[in-house]
Amino acid sequence: MSKRKAPQESLNEGITDFLVELANYEKNVNRAIHKYNAYRKAASTIAKYPHKIKNGEEAKKLDGVGAKIAEKIDEFLQTGKLRKLEKIRNDDTSSSINFLTRVTGIGPAAARKFFEEGVKTLDDLKKVEHKLNHHQKIGLKYFEEFEKRIPRAEMEKMETLILEELKKIDPEYIGTICGSYRRGAASSGDIDILLTHPNYTSQTEKQPKLLHGVVDHLESIGFVTDTLSKGDTKFMGVCQLQENDDDGEEHLHRRIDIRLIPKDQYYCGVLYFTGSDIFNKNMRTHALEKGFTLNEYTIRPIGVTGIAGEPLMVDSERDIFEYIQYRYREPKDRSE
Amino acid sequence: MPEIKLKHVVSCSTEDSTHKADNLLSSDTYRKWKAARPGEKQTSVILQFEKEEQVHSIDIGNEGSAFIEVLVGNSSAVKDQDYEVLLVTSSFMSPTESRNGTNTNRVRFFGPNQLQKSTSQEKWDRVKIVCTQPYSKNIAYGLTFVKFHSPPDKNDPPTSSPKLTKLGQFRVKDESPSSGPSLQPGSLFFSRDSATKPSTSLKVREVNLYGAKTVTPPAKRKFEFSKERQSASGPPPAKKMSPAGSPETKATTPKYKQSPVGTPTSSAQKSSEKKKKESQPKPEPKPKPKPKTKSKSEQQVPFNRILEGVVFVLSGFQNPFRGELREKALEMGAKYRTDWTPDSTHLICAFANTPKYSQVKSAGGIIVRKEWVMDCHKRKEKISYKRYLMDGAESSSESEMEVDDQSEEEEIETKMWPTMYSSCQRVESRQKKAAAEESSVKEEDPYGGSTDENTDAEAEEDHPIPELPDFLNGKHFFLYGKFPNNERRLLLRYIVAFNGVIEEYMSDKVQFVVTSEGWHESFEDALMENCNLNFVKPAWIYAINERQKMLPYQPYTVVP
Repeated sequence: MSKRKAPQESLNEGITDFLVELANYEKNVNRAIHKYNAYRKAASTIAKYPHKIKNGEEAKKLDGVGAKIAEKIDEFLQTGKLRKLEKIRNDDTSSSINFLTRVTGIGPAAARKFFEEGVKTLDDLKKVEHKLNHHQKIGLKYFEEFEKRIPRAEMEKMETLILEELKKIDPEYIGTICGSYRRGAASSGDIDILLTHPNYTSQTEKQPKLLHGVVDHLESIGFVTDTLSKGDTKFMGVCQLQENDDDGEEHLHRRIDIRLIPKDQYYCGVLYFTGSDIFNKNMRTHALEKGFTLNEYTIRPIGVTGIAGEPLMVDSERDIFEYIQYRYREPKDRSE
Repeated sequence: MPEIKLKHVVSCSTEDSTHKADNLLSSDTYRKWKAARPGEKQTSVILQFEKEEQVHSIDIGNEGSAFIEVLVGNSSAVKDQDYEVLLVTSSFMSPTESRNGTNTNRVRFFGPNQLQKSTSQEKWDRVKIVCTQPYSKNIAYGLTFVKFHSPPDKNDPPTSSPKLTKLGQFRVKDESPSSGPSLQPGSLFFSRDSATKPSTSLKVREVNLYGAKTVTPPAKRKFEFSKERQSASGPPPAKKMSPAGSPETKATTPKYKQSPVGTPTSSAQKSSEKKKKESQPKPEPKPKPKPKTKSKSEQQVPFNRILEGVVFVLSGFQNPFRGELREKALEMGAKYRTDWTPDSTHLICAFANTPKYSQVKSAGGIIVRKEWVMDCHKRKEKISYKRYLMDGAESSSESEMEVDDQSEEEEIETKMWPTMYSSCQRVESRQKKAAAEESSVKEEDPYGGSTDENTDAEAEEDHPIPELPDFLNGKHFFLYGKFPNNERRLLLRYIVAFNGVIEEYMSDKVQFVVTSEGWHESFEDALMENCNLNFVKPAWIYAINERQKMLPYQPYTVVP
């Protein structure tokens, strides 16, 4: 998933923005993932709400908005700002940590560690480059480029290129570009490819060659430029389109992830990595109501004592919706 | 692999007037059991075995169900929760097939590899088969047949051989003849006996996984018929037994298997968890154990080498604490793995029964509590992991074999106490420990304030004291509101006895709020703060005590 979510546009932009900011603060600085989730959920329901919210009381009726958030909304609507947020913004610790986590390879924990060592800015980071690991060094090197979002047109070019190259290596490869791009987003933070091959299932041995073959090939044509990490099933790296873009300028370096997934788990993976994360959560909740447990690998029925059953056969995303009797939603309609 | 004889149908959810559940008792596959009406949400049938048996494999012929699950239990079982899963919910028809009514009679064979390990190694006399068909409202569904097979005779050559090595990790310990039938103090808390005999189920028939195991009916039917002829030589299963018959009357007394003393049949029926526990004590010479004599020099190890050679895995910890704990161990020279690998040496576990816990346990790894790392880090010295072992059951043997000469007696964990104090005292000590942690007021006298509880402690001195079970290990509780009749105190005792943690205040750590007052408005706010909270009725705790095992809390939740 990309480091930064695209900003929301809605009637209640101001409110959703501050909720998202609070969410990120909880995740990055306090590492309180549940608070992060609570704020995100509230932001999501408010974003869908078709009216302009007038006060906290009104917002409180919405799913995921409780007394505390309603209070904050009131404060925001009445004063135009939020003391808690002002405090956070002015707080050296949280703003620095929030900033550092924008470098790929630096998560909340590493950010805190660097901060405690007095590293607060990009320049500070450059000074202590010897302390960075390979991943973080690359993150630093391409920091400005990775901050820029990828326009849909460029994503489409990369998709065409990748799928064509896959076909050249082995026509049996199946690849899907997931993430917000698949949901039709106008721009993306990074490119996330799911890869599978009929010869590779969860019953067979791991087949790193299937992944490495693709990576090596993409490197040989100059598309993949750097490797952040390369395991048996997941590659993280940097890519760049070779030909120049419409203005004759060179394309930027982009973050790319390639995951090799067993064929029988592929569509659960595609569903999961297409998101949105909130849509996934809602879908899982629905699955549970219908007596199934759904994760990025499998869907399984739940027995009378609560024990999950065997993984069900899945041959398309639609199969998953069907098992849990959920109206099929095209990827573009999964942005909630 | 002898077929297990079915005695009678105990009950079924509903049955068709022609396709009765009794049909499952006969071996004619054309006589099936169907629900009375189409579109039932779930149908189930409970069958009684002629005697207690271990189930080695199951053959199921479907009749329109989308999913089928098989559970096992004993005659005392009443509710769903009294049964344990033997075959997890398995798919027999896809949603499309269900709607089109195609492939309604698929047959699947489930070998020992597909059955739940823990339940397939015990003996049971009842099975409950649960069928569901959420995708079609027009089918009255059920089963065409079901067959259970017991493990092959020991003399029989295993049908396929060398696969066995994987199961070899279940080491079986067969010393310690049980100490006699006399009722022992706290025997209700005690997992009931010892000597295990090697289970025949270790012989494994090779079974093809997925893919090959779903078989289209016509071909397999033939096979079934031929097999039936062989088995038909035995006495035909008794038909027509009134479902309301005697077994139900036994149901009132939950069947605890009490110290059966060496009779071979009963020794095999013991819970497999127990078996695992027994096979575990003294984690076999893992890479690390250090000779005691060296303990002096060990303490002078440089800080960054204190845990050298330790390769650890974490389970059950949440960030940010998880990160801190890992960081501490790494600083002391340990290596970290995200998942259990062959080179891993220690699992640091927040509470028992995490998936990794079971995995490592069966792999024979060392499982310790976080305090091991914390204490090593705090004291900057290498402390033996042995007193931090996770599993209470080990402690008694542990305390004998380990006489560490580090003199901090007060550090000895409550885990080791059972050998010295009565179980009652142990409850008290746990309570006290919890209290001491909360209030930081150290209670010096180990008997302080609790003497009135140990009414018969003196009389029991000679007996080894049974372990308290750790059903609630790692779970944090908060008791909310008023409880009638001193119930609060009782709940506290149970929770502490089962190794749960009582929180004085509503903090982030709390996972379960116990209340007998029903839903309260403030619960919603609490949920907003901590979405992991569960609100449960006291009945859950009592039920755990009654049944002497961990139960799912869901049936006991308090809802608005």
